[in-house]
Amino acid sequence: MTQFGKILKFELKYYFKNKIFVGVTIFLVLVIAAVMFFPRIAGAFTKNKQSDASSELPVMLIKTDSPELTEQIDGAFGEAFTEYQVQPTSDSDNVIQDMITSDKAECAFVINDMTSYTYYVNNLSMYDQNTAVADSVLQNLFRMNAMVSAGIPVEQAGAMLSLEINHQTENLGKDQMQNYWYTYIMIFALYMVILLYGQMVATNVATEKSSRAMEVLITSAKPAAMMFGKVIASCLAGLVQLISVFGCAILFYSLNKEYWGDNPIVASIFDMPPGLLVYMLIFFVLGFFIYAFLYGAIGSTASKLEDINTSVMPVTMIFIIAFVVVMYSFGSGNVDNMLMKLCSYIPFTSSMAMFTRIAMSTVPWYAVTASIAILIVSVIGIGVLSAKIYRVGVLLYGTKPKFGAILKAVWKA
Amino acid sequence: MILELRDIRKSFGSKQVLDQVSFRAEGGKAFGLLGRNGAGKTTSIRILMDVFPADGGDVLIDGQPIDYRKVRIGYLPEERGLYPKKIIIDQLAYFAELKGMNHKAAVKAADYWLERLGMAEYRNKRLDTLSKGNQQKIQLITALAHNPDIIILDEPFSGLDPVNAMLLKDVVKEQIAMDKVVLFSSHQMSYIEEFCDSIAILNSGRIALHGDLHDIKRNYVRDRLVVRTEYPENIIADFGGQCSRIDDCSLLIQLAAPEEKQSVMQRLTAAYDIDEVKVFEPSLNDIFVEYAGNHTDKEDRQ
Repeated sequence: MTQFGKILKFELKYYFKNKIFVGVTIFLVLVIAAVMFFPRIAGAFTKNKQSDASSELPVMLIKTDSPELTEQIDGAFGEAFTEYQVQPTSDSDNVIQDMITSDKAECAFVINDMTSYTYYVNNLSMYDQNTAVADSVLQNLFRMNAMVSAGIPVEQAGAMLSLEINHQTENLGKDQMQNYWYTYIMIFALYMVILLYGQMVATNVATEKSSRAMEVLITSAKPAAMMFGKVIASCLAGLVQLISVFGCAILFYSLNKEYWGDNPIVASIFDMPPGLLVYMLIFFVLGFFIYAFLYGAIGSTASKLEDINTSVMPVTMIFIIAFVVVMYSFGSGNVDNMLMKLCSYIPFTSSMAMFTRIAMSTVPWYAVTASIAILIVSVIGIGVLSAKIYRVGVLLYGTKPKFGAILKAVWKA
Repeated sequence: MILELRDIRKSFGSKQVLDQVSFRAEGGKAFGLLGRNGAGKTTSIRILMDVFPADGGDVLIDGQPIDYRKVRIGYLPEERGLYPKKIIIDQLAYFAELKGMNHKAAVKAADYWLERLGMAEYRNKRLDTLSKGNQQKIQLITALAHNPDIIILDEPFSGLDPVNAMLLKDVVKEQIAMDKVVLFSSHQMSYIEEFCDSIAILNSGRIALHGDLHDIKRNYVRDRLVVRTEYPENIIADFGGQCSRIDDCSLLIQLAAPEEKQSVMQRLTAAYDIDEVKVFEPSLNDIFVEYAGNHTDKEDRQ
């Protein structure tokens, strides 16, 4: 086995024997399992309940002041609110309020006339659509009555009010609604893994230096072999973690697919095209290498472990800025703006920017190829430069050397 | 095997660290590389180990440029340290593997040395659970496990108790007997004197003295006598300014010329109650102070 292979094996073993690494991976898999199995477990409970009392829908009270409205409104509300037991009432407002606060009813409409009502509810949910539905029901009733009194036959008025427009959308590119969630998750995973494992490389190098294990290491192995061994080991560890988490998510989803029904978000997440996974892999590996090499080089210039946090700040800042730019463009829906196009070719940002554009928009093949080619060339360049900085950096102790001094030494080496 | 550094030059920035450094160390003998702090010992060792290249000069094995794929070097650095949180056998095997052994042979060699140094019980423990002296023995194994041709020991005895120091002495003697090149770097002159046949003294990046230790001592002008006696006062009274006290029972007599040696010795043994008289030979410590001392002091002051 080559020196590089031995270093890779030793470093990988370090990750897979590391309790925190194993613990975090198991924890994430358990969380994914809990989420994915939730509908099945929850379904089992609700099924039991339903068999006990099948008609236990929440109660909606309807009170109308004028008796001629009552019949019309009760019928219309009954049809519109199928998830409620719509019950007419003639109790006073106070009694109605008491019933709601004591959970005997969930909500109530006290309707004064066709154009005004009061909606009572105990806790107004963010997603409560009841007033919008009630508005539309009352509007329709009012228009219907107006049309009928103007002499239009009931059937004709009904047809006019229930007129539906047929439309078709032919999407020739990507459907952003469809791709939003899995792209979001992937960018976030890319961001987390690169940041986490990149910093691990820096800490790993600085630990070897501060414990002086470096004194023996540097005389036993070539700096390039050490740098590449470490970075690739941590990349593989990151990939293993990503694949276990995503793999388990896909496995658990397929086991529970029927219980999720047609939940649009979950369905869209697991409906990602395999081609995109390949792109994710490419951009993850290349983006990871760029940052991990930089983190490794910086780690080698720190004499003490405490220096690491401040030393890696500039690189972390570049990465965070790249993330913010991508997230902002992603949130605004315009992923093909000038900034994103520019970022797609800068090696520090392209892993996230180009990946987002591929996922959310249609990018010509030559642009994708150019972006990947620039990334590959940069990875090689930064890799070689980092190995040189590493070679100089690991032997420097004492005060932290200035960046210029390191570059000068690297140039000479 | 003969290891030779020839005309090695190295500078970091504008600072010349090594200037025409040359020395020679033979297999089956120990060689002492001496010098004060900052004299260039570690830089010489690092160049010898190919950590970084020299600006000029050659590292030769038997007269040919060294081939690092063929010559194995073991190194015990002055700054000790391995992976504190890792299992001892894992890291020992790892370091031996990095030096070219396969995994099985590396584990076997590490086990042999753990046994040899009385550390077998710590095999599966973490390094940071060991005392400092024991950690040092583990570090020594990283220098020896891969059966190196050249062994470089930088301050090997510092931090060892007398029992462990004795154990290390035995190991070093064993390695010398196996015809290996053993290169010592230490400030503990007594150990160098005990082990090393030849030395080089570095002073501000230059070789100030190099050669066989015995020859170096013999080449000093033999114009001083050491006298051991119970009654030094009589001699002091007779020899006056020529004579100085070393301690209560020993005197140093400065001769006008080395040729006087025999006559003065006869005079001393005839006239006084003398336990011992011999020609003064400087200790390594004296030689070191003479060759490594002044120059750097001057530079430090500058």
